[in-house]
Amino acid sequence: MHTNIVKNHSIKLISCMSAYLISAASLAQPYDAGEQGRFVIAGYGDVKYEESDLLDSSAFSARFVPIFLFSLNDKMHVEAETEISLNEAGETEVELEYADIHYFLTDTTTVTVGKFLLPFGQFSANFHPSWINRTPWTPGIYGSHGSAQAMTPLLPILSDVGIAVQQTFFFTSQQKIFLDLYVTNGARAEAHNDGDEIIEDHAEDEEVVDEHTEAFPEVEFAATSGDNNKNKAFGGRIAYAFLPAIEIGASYYTAKYDEEERLSITAQGMDINVIGSRYLIRGEYILTETDGLEEADEHAEETINAFKRNGWYLQGVLQAGQIWPQLGGTELVVEYAKTNKFAKAKRWVAGLNYWLDPRSVIKFSYEETDIEEGDGDQRLAVQYSYGF
Amino acid sequence: MKKLHLLSVLLLTLGGGLITLFTQAIAAEVGSGAEIINNNCARCHNSRPVQEFSTQEWSVILPHMREKAHLTGQETETVMDFFKTLSGGPVKNVADVATMPVMDGGALMKKFGCQGCHSFNGKGGALGPALDNVVAQRGGEFVMKKLTDPQFNNPSSAMPKMPLTSAQINVLVGFLGKK
Ligand code: HEC
Ligand code: HEC
Repeated sequence: MHTNIVKNHSIKLISCMSAYLISAASLAQPYDAGEQGRFVIAGYGDVKYEESDLLDSSAFSARFVPIFLFSLNDKMHVEAETEISLNEAGETEVELEYADIHYFLTDTTTVTVGKFLLPFGQFSANFHPSWINRTPWTPGIYGSHGSAQAMTPLLPILSDVGIAVQQTFFFTSQQKIFLDLYVTNGARAEAHNDGDEIIEDHAEDEEVVDEHTEAFPEVEFAATSGDNNKNKAFGGRIAYAFLPAIEIGASYYTAKYDEEERLSITAQGMDINVIGSRYLIRGEYILTETDGLEEADEHAEETINAFKRNGWYLQGVLQAGQIWPQLGGTELVVEYAKTNKFAKAKRWVAGLNYWLDPRSVIKFSYEETDIEEGDGDQRLAVQYSYGF
Repeated sequence: MKKLHLLSVLLLTLGGGLITLFTQAIAAEVGSGAEIINNNCARCHNSRPVQEFSTQEWSVILPHMREKAHLTGQETETVMDFFKTLSGGPVKNVADVATMPVMDGGALMKKFGCQGCHSFNGKGGALGPALDNVVAQRGGEFVMKKLTDPQFNNPSSAMPKMPLTSAQINVLVGFLGKK
């Protein structure tokens, strides 16, 4: 009886596994077995040890981020990325980072539909994977999912559902202009338990730093397959690339975020990326303008107030091993980030990275955040990250 | 505020339109595969060496990077062709590589796109260092080792491992040492 059950289970297991293996094998090897592949799993993962002064804690954390790529034919390419991580409560969290299809319309035009990383600045779409990012943290002005940081970010890593068009203007193989335009569901007012989505404006007389978030309109960017209003977010990025050394971009994002479509959030960004053979310089500037309703006294009408915030970061990486060969894959990193108004803060990051090969790195990083009205933070982290 | 939004939309579309007209007038030339890698693939992350993936895998990964890097379709195809050359057909088939003819140094440099990433005689890319004095400065043995296993001294090197026979490596070292 008992052994029967065990047998039954193992038969099930074996048949499941072989079914899986057969399907995996048939996915990996298309029937015509030519040079054109069909399916690849890529992605990245990381393990981090972090000590935080503010959180008064030290912790290990781990993530696994598989990317599924399908090439359907010359014109169609499917990509999906999920992030699997353990949260503080010990639960496994799965997040859909993107899931979209590219349609290569012409030699230089690509249409993307689905959930994708918005081409706003460089960090969200291009630098955030941990084997690419030179520090274990987001650069201050961008929010991180996962570990919360002391600095109040201007924007999260933007990923949303909609349609995007990309155009490459090809002057010479070294001079190009990249244009990206998109329409997506867009931001929403952050839901509150009492159903009241409008946050009062106390910005002027605020002293306690924790309440700056209360004074400041709370806008939720996390993507959903729905929208709270008819208005869609619209935006884009235009960049000039002088390859292989320089890329400069300007980005724009705007959306009405409340149900009545009265309040909007607008973000503008500038980014620069300088690629030397021994150094890298990356920087971004963001300006956000968020409308908030000011509930006036009984007589006057409500007025709409625009809250402006801005901030920037600049990161320098020196590939020391390219200068002193005995240092191998050693890299030195310095980063400075600053936010102004409604949560003034600045952060220094210093780091030492060691590359084991072009896609795996061990990062030793230290950061110090100063918050003008509130508690700063000091963090130390060691992260091992690998792309695959 | 509203006006500003409209204005930027207008400017973006107008700018886009104008530039399209422009680019249609100039039919610019696509560089070699190595040049395209040199110009584009170290912009966001360390350039990944070709030997990490099979040709079939690259054919699925490159469209992913086409979108990220804003490559044109033609550029993507050129890189794919370069990867095929580098893998020397079925790269694991040693006999295949061994029967490739020993060519002269210049022809080998061309076939494997050295100047896509290295400058030589004043021309070429900047992803790797200039090759004019490399044998004199670092010694023939170093260059030989580098060509056999580009990652031997620098684990994060973007230089691709090429299907060169030892005879071909000798020819290349001789060629680079003559300068
Ligand atoms: C604009 C930034 C950018 C450029 C330019 C770029 N990549 Fe990538 N690459 C990425 C990002 C971001 C990832 C991580 C995957 C992701 O998040 O979708 C990646 C991942 C990869 C991977 C891992 C497999 C995968 O598909 O995830 C390979 C291999 C790769 N890139 C090769 C290249 C090559 C070859 C080029 C030059 C043609 C290139 N990259 C240019 C941003 C870029
Ligand atoms: C896709 C780009 C690429 C191609 C193609 C390429 N290389 Fe390289 N090579 C590099 C990079 C990047 C480095 C510097 C990093 C390192 O130390 O490996 C390098 C380093 C070297 C070095 C060592 C130089 C030094 O002073 O340390 C030699 C020698 C060399 N390459 C020769 C060649 C030859 C010969 C060819 C053609 C048969 C070639 N390379 C093709 C990218 C390339």
